[in-house]
Amino acid sequence: MIIPEFEYVSPQSVQEACALLVQYGDSARVLAGGSDLLVKMKDGLMKPAYLVSLKNLDSLKAIRYETGTGVIIGARATHNEVMNNRLLQEKYRSVCEAAHSMAADQIRNIGTVGGNLVNAVPSADLPPILIALDARARIVGTSGERTIALEDFFLGPGKTVLEKGEILAEIIIPDQPTTGSNYIKFGLRRAGALAVAGVASSVTVSDGTCRDVRVVLGAVAPTPMRARQAENVLRGKKISRELIDEAGRIAAAESKPISDIRGSIEYRRNLVNVLTRRSLKAAIEKGHI
Amino acid sequence: MSEATTKEFSVIGKSVPKIDARDKVTGRAKYTGDLKVTGMLIGKILRSPHAHARILSIDTSKAEQLPGVEAVITAKDVPATFYGISPARYDETILAIEKVLQVGDKVAAVAALDEETAVKALSLIDVEYEVLPAVLDPLRAMDEDQPQIHPQYERNISVEIHQNFGDVEKAFQQSHLVRTDRFQGNRATHVPMEPHAAISKWENGKLTIWSSTQSPHYFQYHIARVFGLKMGDVRVIKPTVGGGFGGKLEPSAAEYVSAALAMKTGRPVKIVFDRKEVFFHNRGRHAQHIELTTGVTKEGKILGVHGKYIIDGGSYTSLGIASAYYAGAMLPLIYEFDHFKFDCFRVHTNLPSCAAQRGHGAPQPRFAFESQLDMIAKELGMDPIEIRKVNARRPNTMTLNDLKVNSCEFMACLEKAREISGWVGKKGKLPPGQGIGIGCGGFITGAGYPIYRTRLPHAAAIVKVSEQGDIATLYIGAVDIGQGSDTILAQMAAEAIGINYEDMRIVSADTETTPHDFGAYASRQTLMSGHAVKQAGEEVRRQIIELAAELLEASVADLDIDRRVIFVKGSPEKMLPFETVANEFFIRKGPLMGKGSYTPPKLGGKFKGAAVGTSPAYSFAAQISQVEVDEETGQVMVTNVWDVHDCGTVINPNLLHAQVEGALFMGMGEAMYEQVVFDDKGRPLNANLGEYRVPTALDVPQVISELVDSYEPAGPWGVKEVGEGATLPTMGSYANAIYDAIGVRLYDLPLTPEKVWRAIHERKKPS
Amino acid sequence: MGTAIKKGKLHVVTLTVNGEEHAVLVKANTTLLDLLREEFDYTGTKKGCELGDCGACTVLMDDRPVNSCLVLAVEADGHSFTTIEGVEQGGKLDRLQEEFINQAAVQCGYCSPGMILSGKALLMRNPHPTEREVREAIGGNLCRCTGYVRIVKAILAAAEANS
Repeated sequence: MIIPEFEYVSPQSVQEACALLVQYGDSARVLAGGSDLLVKMKDGLMKPAYLVSLKNLDSLKAIRYETGTGVIIGARATHNEVMNNRLLQEKYRSVCEAAHSMAADQIRNIGTVGGNLVNAVPSADLPPILIALDARARIVGTSGERTIALEDFFLGPGKTVLEKGEILAEIIIPDQPTTGSNYIKFGLRRAGALAVAGVASSVTVSDGTCRDVRVVLGAVAPTPMRARQAENVLRGKKISRELIDEAGRIAAAESKPISDIRGSIEYRRNLVNVLTRRSLKAAIEKGHI
Repeated sequence: MSEATTKEFSVIGKSVPKIDARDKVTGRAKYTGDLKVTGMLIGKILRSPHAHARILSIDTSKAEQLPGVEAVITAKDVPATFYGISPARYDETILAIEKVLQVGDKVAAVAALDEETAVKALSLIDVEYEVLPAVLDPLRAMDEDQPQIHPQYERNISVEIHQNFGDVEKAFQQSHLVRTDRFQGNRATHVPMEPHAAISKWENGKLTIWSSTQSPHYFQYHIARVFGLKMGDVRVIKPTVGGGFGGKLEPSAAEYVSAALAMKTGRPVKIVFDRKEVFFHNRGRHAQHIELTTGVTKEGKILGVHGKYIIDGGSYTSLGIASAYYAGAMLPLIYEFDHFKFDCFRVHTNLPSCAAQRGHGAPQPRFAFESQLDMIAKELGMDPIEIRKVNARRPNTMTLNDLKVNSCEFMACLEKAREISGWVGKKGKLPPGQGIGIGCGGFITGAGYPIYRTRLPHAAAIVKVSEQGDIATLYIGAVDIGQGSDTILAQMAAEAIGINYEDMRIVSADTETTPHDFGAYASRQTLMSGHAVKQAGEEVRRQIIELAAELLEASVADLDIDRRVIFVKGSPEKMLPFETVANEFFIRKGPLMGKGSYTPPKLGGKFKGAAVGTSPAYSFAAQISQVEVDEETGQVMVTNVWDVHDCGTVINPNLLHAQVEGALFMGMGEAMYEQVVFDDKGRPLNANLGEYRVPTALDVPQVISELVDSYEPAGPWGVKEVGEGATLPTMGSYANAIYDAIGVRLYDLPLTPEKVWRAIHERKKPS
Repeated sequence: MGTAIKKGKLHVVTLTVNGEEHAVLVKANTTLLDLLREEFDYTGTKKGCELGDCGACTVLMDDRPVNSCLVLAVEADGHSFTTIEGVEQGGKLDRLQEEFINQAAVQCGYCSPGMILSGKALLMRNPHPTEREVREAIGGNLCRCTGYVRIVKAILAAAEANS
């Protein structure tokens, strides 16, 4: 197979990268890990004339904690780096587990957090758990930077709010009162499988009451989606088996799956129901796991 | 007990390391795509985007002008000879002439200095198509309103088979219970890890082809025929092959097109399929729609079976006629009954061509039969193993379709499987959502008749001992595609001669230097090539012993050879080293060689299609699997599989169990994960290894592979096959285990989580 | 490569492969896989799917397994790689390679280089893996011949030799 020819540039700074993206406009793509982009190019689905490589931008690699802000994950962190990161394992192991659920070891060593988000595949595994944890996206462009809720980052399959010349630089998981979070992915084999449906949840529980909750569905809508009606079932209420079951049913009804070669609408709705229940149960009982 | 198990062998029966393992673990083994030939060009094939279309025009002018392009060919530049591998069904051409019959059909080809140029050149070829309606549903392919794909196959019928043994109607009338059930099998494909590849070189009127092939002989035969060459002018060489499973049994576009381009350019041309092209070439599992009716007595004895099939053959015939016959021929093998009716339509569709895949036509019928037998057992209140024991084939019997079974330890397989799996304590007794089920199978050990009509022996071998007598080289046409035939045949040669495995060298699968062999398919080589090797080795042994008798002043009858020593039986101090005698032989008489060949006995009945299913010997197996079903998602976890095989004498235990594990794994993939799917225009939706899901290391169960004592008189040292047998029981075993776990029956492969969930859902609905 | 016409801009790439440093000129759209196979003749790294699904092209990049079909040669600049050819040292097989032979974990052999490298990387970072961890490590390496049974055995046997 051939990758269609392109011009390759590897800028030395984020600003330089943004400037190049503005300069080349629509005929340029960002090259982070390449595990998604190169496949699309080999399949003939994309033919960018320019690839702007982030490989020299070390500032985008780090995973660190910033007091007053929270955990910061650089867009160039690979999925294995996320999976193995001590800080994340301590604070939000659920994020590590979500990264772990992706693809296989080889892909996780080159695929990046930024790539997973920017490619905006509806079945992506990181967005649900990050949104459940109220993550923010710090976007850098030629005219400055902006930070938005990750929930607002996705516009549709393959589409994000990134404007020309903008690069997703970091994901911020803010310090938060949540007591547990969890992501469950249902794939058709145990490695190398896209999610047929994926559900992430986060809860803030005290005295058996669910003070706050987020339920985020993946692979069952054009973008990762909050199951707000399901959340309302639980928010502020005393946790009970019946309420969790209801939340599952409502999340299923809220979801907007399509039928494709991996699953039908009804089956996906069923998965949302089951996975929502299971995710909530785990988040409530086991912490950020 | 058999002769084989009581005698201690020196070389066979041992798990010696594979003869090519070191090369493979170091990266030294060269597969066809790894080879480079001086002056080599890269070939690429332009493939049809339409499932069914007339070719109106092809303009190659722009492609020809691209720098670096050495040749562009279309149908007019290559022989128009129709080819195929089923006699009387040669319906394929090197490049499509008038019509393309599937997405991915071959339309044109380019040879260029490098891959990138070749791919660019393809994009510069302009083809004008008239898109035609396509036949995409095999169940409707014969309907009046469907387009006809091939001019010669009316109503898209590839073959129509009606076989009738005994009187099924009467048998059903006499039955206590008659059941009819319908099953739908899935279109699956081999997925060898190595894609098809060939390098063709055309020099002085001679064609040399290095090819990832399962049969240099069939390749040589067909390629010579198509290009109008004498076979001696076509040399087919097999480098290391990365898996075949039936998909590399006939020349593909890789061979034909590279040969055509080599002839046109005068330079060697390499063509390596990318993964998508492997899916287009296919020649994999027919999806079979099966309606099965079985009648049994009150005691569960099978009286009669009627199978009605429609199987999806895809675009070209390939080996599909045999597949259709095998679908019926293997059904009466493992259980004894006298009345059988087999009605089968193999139909053409505008989808990739189907042919032989591990188990060849038999696994899906086996799935149907094993599932139905369990349903019958349930209705009769019988244990599934019990009903199988009532019907199990016995040794030295003839099936109703004239297949001669010599050794058969099927009963022992059933009993051992029951024991090692803990069946009695588990069946119906496991916690909800867990279940255990059994599936069985049996398969041929080589086909009784070759793929084309010929009187050639099926296998031949030459052994040449070195002048120093320190090593011996085995020349065989037999093909190692990963299953280890080079290794076990070297073991057999060493055993037959009386030397050590480490003394063997092997030259295999080169039509110019090695003797004839039909190749790796139908699990034939251990028995058939083995016979030839044994004969060749024994001829060397005879010559050595004759000379040694002279040198030791002993009589021939008193001498034996073991582990490189010729000695007088009973007086081992009267001995000579093998090298000494061999060296002396060479001095006195010249090369020390032995040769052997094997032709199976005349087998089979006189009815139409009787040849298919014939074999010198048959393997048998019982497979029990244990599953855990997550009823909310339908996900099935297969936790354990126990396979008990009757495969005769074992030449190399490690390699044998490795074959069982691999065959079982393929059965598992087809049972639960794999299906090739298309859109409504016949375009494949999952022609890649991300969405065509072969199980990963995380998906496979714990496997326990065991054997029963068995000796097959028709096989050298009592051997039988194992490479395909373990694929057959798996699907039925899983379906039966799932039923045991959750009380729902699935009729539709693959057994996906969604299907399981739906079946549970349906059952729970208030009626 | 070889007789190929290299048109278009060429980039200098410096990389270490199996302990040897190389400087090469590559087109931007060259994959590491093709660079290894065509330029360096390291044909032990295989092409199975070229889309990152099968793992036959696995090499170690700074000791971590990656699909070389999805790494551009220009992105390999400055990194260190191990292919299957670099696993044996001075003609002596790695214990892992020996166990692949002993456990009959090699059938057609096409997945073996990738499997061995994934296994080797695992044992380097985790000398005593559980069976589950072994299966995870080779989850991205497809095998069609073995059902993974003996491959897992071989990696565990090599791990045991470490203790």
